[in-house]
Amino acid sequence: MPTLLNQISAITSLNVKSLPQRAAMSAASVVAVALSIAVLLFFLALANGLSKTVEGSGSDSVAVALREGSTAELNSVVTRDQLNILAGAPGVAAIDGKPAVSGELLVIVDGVKRATGTNANMPFRGIGPEGIALRESVQIVDGRLFSPGTNEIIVGASLLREFSGFELGSTIRLRGSEWTVVGVFDAPGTVFASELWADLAVTQSLFRRPNVFQTMKFKLVSPAALEEFRNFAAADARLKQLEILSERAYFKRQASQSTGQFFFIAWALGVTMAIGSVAGALNTMYSAVAARASETATLRIIGFSGIATFAGTLLEAVILSALGGSLGVLIAFLFFQGRTTSTLGSGFTQLVFKFDISPGVVLAAIATSALIGVIGGFLPGLRAARQRPQLELAAQ
Amino acid sequence: MNDFTLIAINLFRKPVRTVLLVVSILIAFLIFSVMVSFNHAITNFNTKPNRLVTLSKINFTESLPYAHFDRIAKTEGVATATHLNWFGGYYQDPVKGFLPVFAVDPRSYYDVYKEDLPLTEEAKAAFFGERTAMIAAEAVAEKYDWRIGQRIPLNSNIFSQADGGHVWEFTLVGVFATPPGSSQTGSVIINYDYFNETISFGRDRVGWIAFLTRSADLNDQVAEAIDARFANSADETSTQDEATFNKSFAAQLGNISLVVTLVVGSAFAAILLIVGTTMALAVRERTKEIGVMKTLGFSSSRILTMVLGESLMLAFLGAGVGTAAAALALSALSSSGNGPPIYFEPAVVGWSALIAAGLGVVTGVFPALEAYRLRIIEALGRR
Repeated sequence: MPTLLNQISAITSLNVKSLPQRAAMSAASVVAVALSIAVLLFFLALANGLSKTVEGSGSDSVAVALREGSTAELNSVVTRDQLNILAGAPGVAAIDGKPAVSGELLVIVDGVKRATGTNANMPFRGIGPEGIALRESVQIVDGRLFSPGTNEIIVGASLLREFSGFELGSTIRLRGSEWTVVGVFDAPGTVFASELWADLAVTQSLFRRPNVFQTMKFKLVSPAALEEFRNFAAADARLKQLEILSERAYFKRQASQSTGQFFFIAWALGVTMAIGSVAGALNTMYSAVAARASETATLRIIGFSGIATFAGTLLEAVILSALGGSLGVLIAFLFFQGRTTSTLGSGFTQLVFKFDISPGVVLAAIATSALIGVIGGFLPGLRAARQRPQLELAAQ
Repeated sequence: MNDFTLIAINLFRKPVRTVLLVVSILIAFLIFSVMVSFNHAITNFNTKPNRLVTLSKINFTESLPYAHFDRIAKTEGVATATHLNWFGGYYQDPVKGFLPVFAVDPRSYYDVYKEDLPLTEEAKAAFFGERTAMIAAEAVAEKYDWRIGQRIPLNSNIFSQADGGHVWEFTLVGVFATPPGSSQTGSVIINYDYFNETISFGRDRVGWIAFLTRSADLNDQVAEAIDARFANSADETSTQDEATFNKSFAAQLGNISLVVTLVVGSAFAAILLIVGTTMALAVRERTKEIGVMKTLGFSSSRILTMVLGESLMLAFLGAGVGTAAAALALSALSSSGNGPPIYFEPAVVGWSALIAAGLGVVTGVFPALEAYRLRIIEALGRR
């Protein structure tokens, strides 16, 4: 066995050292793999960044109630009566002696996307002090909070970066009245930073939806209290049309709805391009095998085994595609890691997030490029191993 | 034997290599054709130039009072107007069964969209006359195996009936085809009056108003008049032509053109390198042979043409197969009934031919020049 390993390493190093002789084709093959991997990473990092932001918004100890079958907050309609009943449910935590519950109203207003100058859907949330308290990571980073009962808005930092029309101090007209942006808030890495917030009661009356909310949030005494809370709701006929789940589960579902299509595009395009790269790699390796036919024949005659010849070619292909894969990962890190972008999320409003190349994404890239190398080196390796040494030399 | 045959024989003398090259080329053209068709489908609609939409100025998801419809219909320069409401429809499963369902006034809706609503006289009469009638896109009816006359329960993810239920029953009275470029974006169309009387909130409001102007020349004037009419009211409007609205909606998804350009650019850059280096190798391998041909009296320019011809033939072969594969893939995807159909965009064929020509020339020109300049003495002497 040690001899076989020695042979393989000798042949592989010979193959790698002679790469400069086939520089152009080998480089072409490397770049083709790099481009395939970069395209795959682009969409995977997009999906991953989106998913991370949406999922990162949810807490286990907050329960969300919305209309059954609505799937998104925008479609849901729940009533003040339902909120009042649920506020007395077991498991709801208290803040200053009052139940920590928040009814919220979400409407969509137009903003202008800075990158394209086109109109885009901005989530405009009517929210009370309880709702802000429920979102622990929220802090005002500029200006101040809106005053209750006034036409004042605070804007999420992510939204402000990507969309224009809501700069601090600017005014917008909604349904015949002027609104002023008085503050900027941030909730790093969550969907909330892509929202506009205003006083709940003012928003309800302006959008003709008194006593109506889209969602209700409840701070629970512990994640385990969700069970008890749901049982309470299930037992009350007035609450039968409600779906109740943890905030984390709610956002997880949102994330999978938004990112499914991106994962599909990533793999559809990634695999298609990888097939092209495999064709390129096969070509390069077949040429390499043909070019060193007489060297291989000599090696066989002096005692190197066919297996070693096969393995040497396979390893050369894997090394080339690994180089390509690393180059692809490098391109991804240089050009789009951490870049901010936005798209229409499953809530039908714009969601701002960052491209995120996670270890899992890098692993997918490594596996794909390794697979390209193995497929690209396998058949040429077989051909190299099957060469008849005497015939090859005689042909010279 | 003419030069064409000779080029073809040269191209296929190493069949494995050629097949591999064709595969990598076809992949690039497949990606190009599918992505360009996709981009075209979501940014271009065969809307009528004189069809406009009036939406809430706040955002298109905000509704407008029904009275806006009457006023717009009577505006100078408006020929026919109709109104649409988003029903938030789904069939059986809230996510997988999602359907774009619009509640409309059947007669005026037909007048505004008739080019895209091919209905039999029978279906039309039933759609106009029965309050619980619905019509559906062919692809949707096929996907769920709906038959004419069948009662279909549709859920709304927004509205409720007075009794709190979320399910409405409709009778399917007709199906309509959605050929390439159809501006029919709804999959299911139901009756507004029935919808409006049975919902428990949001009555007497319309989602948006679509109308035809007497002439596209009047578009700006009519749009300004309508928006001015409602300015400073609680329900201000924004009126634009349908094409502009559709484009800005597509832009919400992201800068799709840029993504398409980057991906297609990567795919072509990869094959340019692969094909270019392989062509160079293929010609170098034939040095001796080219020397012999020149000795036999083949002119240098004829050799140059033959090498270029070979790279062009290769590029066109890959482009042809790739474009055909894209057409097949898209038709398979469209007939699956998942999401709106994306049709193969015929203009892609012209672009593919142009790119194939460019690819053939760029990958063939250097080896061709090398073969052109090759001197017999060197060619025959080289090992």
